[in-house]
Amino acid sequence: MAPHSPGTDQIDTLLWIGFVAAAILIVAVVGALLYVLRRYGAERGAEPRQVTGGRRIQLRVGGTLGAFAAAILVLSIIYTDKARETPTTGAAGLQVSHSEPLKITTTGQQWLWRYDYPNEAFSYYKLIVPVDTAVELELVSTDVVHTWDVPDLAPKADAVPGKTHEIVFRADEEGTYTGQAATLSGQAYAAMRTEVEVVSPQEYEAFIESQKEGIQAAQDRVVSLIENGEVP
Amino acid sequence: MSAPTKIPELVIDGFPPRRPRWVEIVTSADHKDLGRVLITGALGFLFIALVELLLMRLQLAIPENTFLTPVAFNRMLSLYGATAIFLFAVPLALGFFYYVAPLQIGARGTALPRLGQLGTWLFIAAATVLYTCFLFTPSEAGVNPLPPLSGIAFLPNNGVDAWAAASGLATLGFVLIAIDLVATLRRLRAPGMAWRRLPVFSWAAAIGSWLLLVIGPVMLAAITMLLIDRNFEGIFFAGDAGGSPLLWQHLSWIFYTGTYMLILIFALGALAEIVPALARKPLFNRGAVIGSLVAIAVLGTLAWMQNMFTAPIGLGWMYFAMIMSLALIVPFGLVFFNLIATLSGGTLRMRAPLLFAAGAVVAISIGLGSEIEHSMVAVGWRLQHTTDSTAATHFALIGGAVFGGFAALHWWFPKMTGRTMGETLARFSFWTMAIGLLVAFVPLFFAGGEEGEVVDAYKFFAGTGVNAYNLIATIGAFVLAAGILMTLLNAILSREGGRPAGHDAWGGDSLEWFALSPPEPHNFDLLPDVRSARPMRDIREAIAHRSARAEQTARESTPVA
Repeated sequence: MAPHSPGTDQIDTLLWIGFVAAAILIVAVVGALLYVLRRYGAERGAEPRQVTGGRRIQLRVGGTLGAFAAAILVLSIIYTDKARETPTTGAAGLQVSHSEPLKITTTGQQWLWRYDYPNEAFSYYKLIVPVDTAVELELVSTDVVHTWDVPDLAPKADAVPGKTHEIVFRADEEGTYTGQAATLSGQAYAAMRTEVEVVSPQEYEAFIESQKEGIQAAQDRVVSLIENGEVP
Repeated sequence: MSAPTKIPELVIDGFPPRRPRWVEIVTSADHKDLGRVLITGALGFLFIALVELLLMRLQLAIPENTFLTPVAFNRMLSLYGATAIFLFAVPLALGFFYYVAPLQIGARGTALPRLGQLGTWLFIAAATVLYTCFLFTPSEAGVNPLPPLSGIAFLPNNGVDAWAAASGLATLGFVLIAIDLVATLRRLRAPGMAWRRLPVFSWAAAIGSWLLLVIGPVMLAAITMLLIDRNFEGIFFAGDAGGSPLLWQHLSWIFYTGTYMLILIFALGALAEIVPALARKPLFNRGAVIGSLVAIAVLGTLAWMQNMFTAPIGLGWMYFAMIMSLALIVPFGLVFFNLIATLSGGTLRMRAPLLFAAGAVVAISIGLGSEIEHSMVAVGWRLQHTTDSTAATHFALIGGAVFGGFAALHWWFPKMTGRTMGETLARFSFWTMAIGLLVAFVPLFFAGGEEGEVVDAYKFFAGTGVNAYNLIATIGAFVLAAGILMTLLNAILSREGGRPAGHDAWGGDSLEWFALSPPEPHNFDLLPDVRSARPMRDIREAIAHRSARAEQTARESTPVA
């Protein structure tokens, strides 16, 4: 996995900060424990000195830990705010009329994702987005809670029935990114995957057109079947 | 002189014959009998939870496996979660609290024994309800059954109802036991046993009980609403009818997060008894450790939204949860620091309880260290709902409930049975468990953190880069299970065949070691006047002082030939 949007870049950086912070604390505890067990494990004989503690050292250790926690907190807030910023569409991206992000309604349903683009085109399973373009996914659900997760492009987010949940991203590079729903949603949960194909704006528009034509053709076919009496 | 013609007759028929052992246990309201029921039951369900975990790990050994059907996997997952939390971890912690705390404070029983009895048997009833659902169908809604999936529309069979009934009965039972413990700790302390002299494990019992009094009713309310939604057309969690699915998430996470803290408070409380005694030193900064346990209960529970970073809630609330979670670094850090400082400079007896205690510190610190990452909001967006969080939770809770629980088991087993658990088997068990834990869960950190493998899925796909991680994790889970089984076996064998331990098995400082092993039904014939936080040490010193003086007197009064 590698981050391919400004938001996930920030998340990746913060992940490493968190990893280092966690590693420092774990190594400190485990290291100190193993040291005292080795050093004093073989002591024999007289009763050791009955030390009951001291306020000074306690305040010092507590203060150090508090400062450590505060530092992680500040860094987390800085990077989280950056990760949430709505990116701006770049020069290579799709130039929409407003400076607003491209809004795509993303519907979770057992066990498939549906993507509704502006201009009435839609697709299942595969999301096509133009490169270098700010995209806003509006997550909704028609049945149970689903989590949309394509870790390279965007933070995970839940699609909860009755709520709309927005996430934004801007894919930096053309390519295919895979993802998988991340909240247990019933029997076929593990098969509820998705794919994001990042393409050039031209290809995106061509895709939308062909999708619209395909949908229109399918609808026309249904209408003609009904008119001809082949379908009741 | 005339001898009395009639000697007053003294007839002794003996004590009334004891009823069969099982009748005694089933009708007993004695905290020791009930504590043993809770602990034995919990260890039995540890075994069952292990079987369920291994079945799931077998399914996840190779990609796209078909060993379990998706439905069977989801049922295993749901049973595993309920068993591990409601039937193993919490009853084990409460069982030890309930057995040990009254002894430690020098009480002859508990304040509301029938309440504790009811609570214990509600736990048994909960277990019965959860497992009789095999007769029809278990829940398929996962560890935390989120509506709407757990609603009647999506899971119309009665599995979720069985889950809700079982969890509700168990939670009610825990709350009743907690009420008894709170009352006992407040009212029945021995003369001189001020709060400042209370053993740390009894403090943990008090803190844990108060915590349960807060979070238990929250869960009971949530479960009641779920049952109303499912069976009586309620709309509490229906998003389109004025309710909210997120409401369940808030209520249930308050309970689960509090429970997580309860398990760690139990483990750290037990460690705070074991470590000083086996280092032959008093606990370093006792007051700070107790204060930290209180802080863990409060801050930890307030951090419930740490589990909801992917849900549509305001960013401010996420920051609130993050502040609470990161603040936990201070109390947890202080407890670890003080435990290690207690060991430092001591003369350590590396017996089984200390070994398991060390294992608990390592496992809990790995788990909580990873939780720091999950608490950092943006990182949470990436790591939550992946196997990275599975690994973090299992490190912390296996560290607390299994390693910490086994440390407590080895420690108080001599008190409960009069016999010590086999040391050799304990060592084998410990090292097998330690290796198993690392091999079973470290790969899941990588699978989740690096490759984003999602939680709770009944299969994973080849080509997603997680094949090796999952295979190793499955092997590790079997090693871990083998290690755990060794300790369960050790406990069964040692009950009758262990080395007799004597009444003061380890030289601990608290009053449970003043009682017989196993203690009489009334706990103590006479109660000492408590003068310090280390009453048993005072007693030992007084006895040594007196026998020395008696010896001296005897020597002085002996005429020199």
